[in-house]
Amino acid sequence: MAYTTFNRNINDQLKEPMFFGNAVNVSRYDQQKYPIFEKLIEKQLSFFWRPEEIDVSKDRIDFQQLPEHEKHIFISNLKYQTLLDSVQGRSPNVALLPIVSIPELETWIETWAFSETIHSRSYTHIIRNISAEPHKIFDDIMLNERILERAVDVTRYYDDLIDGINLYQRCGEGTHQINGKTEQITLRELKKRLYLCLMSVNVLEAIRFYVSFACSFAFAERELMEGNAKIIRLIARDEALHLTGTQHMLNILASGDDDPEMAEIAKECEEESYAIFMRAAEQEKDWAAYLFKDGSMIGLNKDILCQYVEFITNSRMQAVGLKPRFATTQNPIPWINTWLVSDNVQVAPQESEISSYLVGQIDNEVDTADFGDFDL
Amino acid sequence: MPQVRINGEVVVNFDGSSPNLLQFLEQQQQAVNYQCREGFCGACRCKLLNGQISYLQEPLAFVRRGEFLPCCSIPKTDIELEIPK
Repeated sequence: MAYTTFNRNINDQLKEPMFFGNAVNVSRYDQQKYPIFEKLIEKQLSFFWRPEEIDVSKDRIDFQQLPEHEKHIFISNLKYQTLLDSVQGRSPNVALLPIVSIPELETWIETWAFSETIHSRSYTHIIRNISAEPHKIFDDIMLNERILERAVDVTRYYDDLIDGINLYQRCGEGTHQINGKTEQITLRELKKRLYLCLMSVNVLEAIRFYVSFACSFAFAERELMEGNAKIIRLIARDEALHLTGTQHMLNILASGDDDPEMAEIAKECEEESYAIFMRAAEQEKDWAAYLFKDGSMIGLNKDILCQYVEFITNSRMQAVGLKPRFATTQNPIPWINTWLVSDNVQVAPQESEISSYLVGQIDNEVDTADFGDFDL
Repeated sequence: MPQVRINGEVVVNFDGSSPNLLQFLEQQQQAVNYQCREGFCGACRCKLLNGQISYLQEPLAFVRRGEFLPCCSIPKTDIELEIPK
């Protein structure tokens, strides 16, 4: 029951459920219950990138020339993304590692969370570059009510799960007196909290990030803040992989093949799952209203962004076996897809300023004088 | 040359001029949602009502029975597909 870092029970890992079985002992990948998680790890590793590799120096000039309401849009999105990745960089590890029971999934969780820490570091990279006082931007995350409102919903399913796991692993199932309070926990309740937590994580990765993504790419369509867009594009590519990982977990759980009780729980949680999606969509629409409170930007306004939220929410709901709830069936900003295409990210080094080609070796300064002795 | 029936209406030959079914559908002016175009995001999921496809590379995205990803597949036999609305 209590967590152990190296479980001495000799078990057949192929017979363990994904969660709440024996804690993992040997991290071995010669045999795998769900090879998909190993494939996701390989893909994620092939995506590896570092924020410092991307030159954001031109963004500083662009940013200074943005009108105030566009500065507000840009900075607010970065703050919100910083919050989301702060949560995602730690929470999958804290919440899921104590209960995971198969090695390939355990390693996927660690690989996934690690890549979120790269995202967090990239926000510092961007913000340091555009502002002489980055601390003011970061400090405001803990004071900005619009962001804090979102933090409540983003974190509460994680916190409920972690709280339940702590109690269960310390005291087991049943009713317990903890610090003068009566606390109750059952394994079934924990499984329910896990399922809802994964649903809320999926919403975070698959919907909440996309309002920011759309704004970043809308700036870049106007050839503004392009360094930022390059970074956001790498983040978006990672997130598309993460949401696939979470969809796999949810769908495997709901199928009942892994743990029959989980199929019942998935059914029981259906209404709450819908509620999680719909609440997030409403919050993201409110966020769009906040972003554009002082004015829209070229190519995007509140209404278009709200339609996009509805469109993407529908598609994400279908991916986890729920029915779409919004009437929007068309993507109102189809141009965003070209920014989300994966193979556009990796081009031949000589064709673009591909980040890994640049590591501290080349700068972007080209003077007409450099072409002085060219003869055509 | 396999035939592709789209949304119960259009029937077109898959003549090999498109490397995969997503590009093929786009050439037919069909609006299909997409993102990664590499099989890992799952945005382009369509329903396969009849026939068989073969994957150029195994998709990483979750694909339900009766669904497939056009971005990384080609038809193996005549197929009938439905683009989700």
